[in-house]
Amino acid sequence: MSSKSSLLKVILLGDGGVGKSSLMNRYVTNKFDAHLFHTIGVEFLNKDLEVDGRTVTLQIWDTAGQERFRSLRTPFYRGSDCCLLTFSVDDSQSFHNLVNWKKEFIYYADVKEPESFPFVVLGNKLDVSERQVSSEEAQEWCMESGGYPYFETSAKDATNVAVAFEEAVRRVLSLEDRHEHLIPTDTVNLHRKPRSATQCC
Amino acid sequence: MAESAVLADSRRCCFFLYDSSKVQEEGDLTRDGIYYFYPEDTPIDQQELLCGQLAGVCRCVSELSSSPVRLLRLRKSKYAVRMKDNFLWALSCSVEIPDVSICDVLDQLIALFCFYNGPVRQSYQLYSQEELALRWARYLHHLQGGSTELHSIFSCLRTIDSTNIDPLLLLKAALILQACQRCPLVLAGCILYRGRVMSTQMPPALTVKVMVYETQTYSQDNRVSVNGLSSSVGSAASVTVTTQVYLTPSELNMIRSPPVERACRSHCNPPPCQPRKSRLSRTLSDTPTSDTDSSSLDALQCPPVSYQTMPSSPRSSLSDEPYFSPSPSRGNTPLHSNLLNQSEYFNSESHDHQTALKEQSLTESLNRKQDTDTNSESESKSEGLNSDQDVQSEEIKALTNGFQELNSHENHASDNDEQIQSTADKLESDSHVTSKNGKLRGEMEARTMSKQADRRHQDKYKPTSRLSPNETTEDPSLLPSILYQHRVRGLVLALLVEPEFNTDPAAREEVQHSSLASLNGLEAHLRNTSQGTPGPPGPYTFAHYDCIQNTLTTNVCGRSVGPQDRAFLRATALLHSHFSHLDTLQEAIVRNSGSAVYATRSTAQETYFLQQGTPVRNSGSPDPQDSAFSLPRKARQRLLKHGVNLP
Repeated sequence: MSSKSSLLKVILLGDGGVGKSSLMNRYVTNKFDAHLFHTIGVEFLNKDLEVDGRTVTLQIWDTAGQERFRSLRTPFYRGSDCCLLTFSVDDSQSFHNLVNWKKEFIYYADVKEPESFPFVVLGNKLDVSERQVSSEEAQEWCMESGGYPYFETSAKDATNVAVAFEEAVRRVLSLEDRHEHLIPTDTVNLHRKPRSATQCC
Repeated sequence: MAESAVLADSRRCCFFLYDSSKVQEEGDLTRDGIYYFYPEDTPIDQQELLCGQLAGVCRCVSELSSSPVRLLRLRKSKYAVRMKDNFLWALSCSVEIPDVSICDVLDQLIALFCFYNGPVRQSYQLYSQEELALRWARYLHHLQGGSTELHSIFSCLRTIDSTNIDPLLLLKAALILQACQRCPLVLAGCILYRGRVMSTQMPPALTVKVMVYETQTYSQDNRVSVNGLSSSVGSAASVTVTTQVYLTPSELNMIRSPPVERACRSHCNPPPCQPRKSRLSRTLSDTPTSDTDSSSLDALQCPPVSYQTMPSSPRSSLSDEPYFSPSPSRGNTPLHSNLLNQSEYFNSESHDHQTALKEQSLTESLNRKQDTDTNSESESKSEGLNSDQDVQSEEIKALTNGFQELNSHENHASDNDEQIQSTADKLESDSHVTSKNGKLRGEMEARTMSKQADRRHQDKYKPTSRLSPNETTEDPSLLPSILYQHRVRGLVLALLVEPEFNTDPAAREEVQHSSLASLNGLEAHLRNTSQGTPGPPGPYTFAHYDCIQNTLTTNVCGRSVGPQDRAFLRATALLHSHFSHLDTLQEAIVRNSGSAVYATRSTAQETYFLQQGTPVRNSGSPDPQDSAFSLPRKARQRLLKHGVNLP
């Protein structure tokens, strides 16, 4: 199993200002800058990590949350293995917009089976004292939407950030394992998922 | 003659570097003085013939006239010449290339060499001739290869074709540079994509130098791209390289006082000595006049600050050997918009030659010059006068070390630039008219600059070269710096950084952290940008040259050069060189029986326009029905959609 290509593409989506770039930077470089400029279009960083004995390269794509950057970011949804829907716990609007982000992702990433696609929900800015979204509210939405794992994170003080990304990796890997069990090795899969393309290069 | 022997094919360029100090005695072999000769397969006796004769002519003429030779005109070709200490550089081209262009190329070539190798004398002590020959060849190839004929006429930067690129991506590039500039030890940067400039914070002349390196590594793309960085920050396709480079003091001054606010830097920078405008990094769409203004102010108002912060003292080992600092009587080339740097190699005073006596005569010649200037500059008399006075005061100040009177440079920066260019070209003046008529081609003709005119030219440059008074009284030396390059496939971030950068892992890490994700993203965006089929060429041909940023917009590139384009190119070359001769010339039309090219220029730009398909009604005498008179209006209309706004 270790010979298997292990570049996993995860993409961070969510309203502008919820802390997507900060989450990525915190996780990959362990740094936090409170004055980041809007992300324009997309950016990405790679990080090697080991999850449950398997080494993978996680490619984290950070996107622009603002509506005006939509045409720049959407072409890069394709090929994602996991989508991290991100909101800010001190901004209820960003939470309510998650459903729109999910729709946008499914549409542009051309996800064939939206029900089984691994989404992970992140409630960021846990360090802020005035919450607008309660933990229960968020968890309820995650359950209803398809049993997505939910993490409350703080990019500022690094709470739960690594745990969340590792969970994303676990989700992807377990999904792959399931697929491998289903598909006998001596058949040719004519309906390969787009991800196979990224594996060979 | 040497000409026919060596240059049977006059289109082939010829370049050499000759050290006359190696050939002093009767018995000394000429070949000992030849440090580099291109084409390298030229038989040695032919090399000797050419070098010996040209060196002799140059020396003879420069001694007779007490001024250096700048251009040698032969029957089928001409040579741009540089003389410095005992070195002689010569670069040939066919007679069709404007004087100003070939001189530019030679200057760029020398500047490039010194940027990567340091002072010439020193580099020939450190490295073997064979090694340096490879580098000369590489720089020569870079400056000549790959660029279109139009690019070589204007010797301008190659920029990305932004018509298919989302302007937001240009902003993104500018923001990446800005973020890097906030990191400690970083001076300025530029972003190149597939060998073309996308965004730059550097003056054009410096950007050109940085690009050579890019072109070198770009060709090795495959090898480089498999290397990875450390896994924490790296991506599989990215790699960083640092290279030792050398900057002139004025270049360093300039990039040390960039327009961007640096309040958030952690260390190493002088506090701004005046409130600066906080603004984005310079992009191609910016008008850098305000930038240069502010930096000129900085240079003038706080030169001591910049000295305090120099990483190595000006009296470093290099200072004995400034790589190119001709005596005041040495000539200069018009350098277009390279208003900031390039001139420095050639105009900064070499004070080993500069005796008190010369200083004295210099002031006298300045006074004389003023008279002639006021006559010649009918366009802006008062301005001409003012800048002359500035210049003069700068001279005085160079002696007294005071610099309070230099307060109006910023107002004249662009005017000066234009004047510089045209003044310089006056030195070669009649050449184009005469070469057109073919009258003076018959014999070898050595062109030298009159001392007075040269003096003036040099002075014109001074306001833009930003030498602080301290610098003008010392040998300007090359200061070591580091070129940091981060490549993500075809995208390159090039930063000029302080020398300590190499030994400061924290600084390097900070640069990587603040740029890596964005570079990855920018590269992905650019790679996914469809090149888009260029629309059908309009019924016109145009070239728009931005003298300040040294960039060109045209619809000639990418098309096969047809007979009409060839006519356009010839007309453009001719008009460009006329513009550089005559600073009062603003509009011109050249025509033959079949077509007419309209040209107009301002201090900041030159525009050339050819309307196709319309037969030129030409009665041969002034005629209001003449269709050529409608060209300015047509040009104005047509070029609007290319973002060219003609007055």
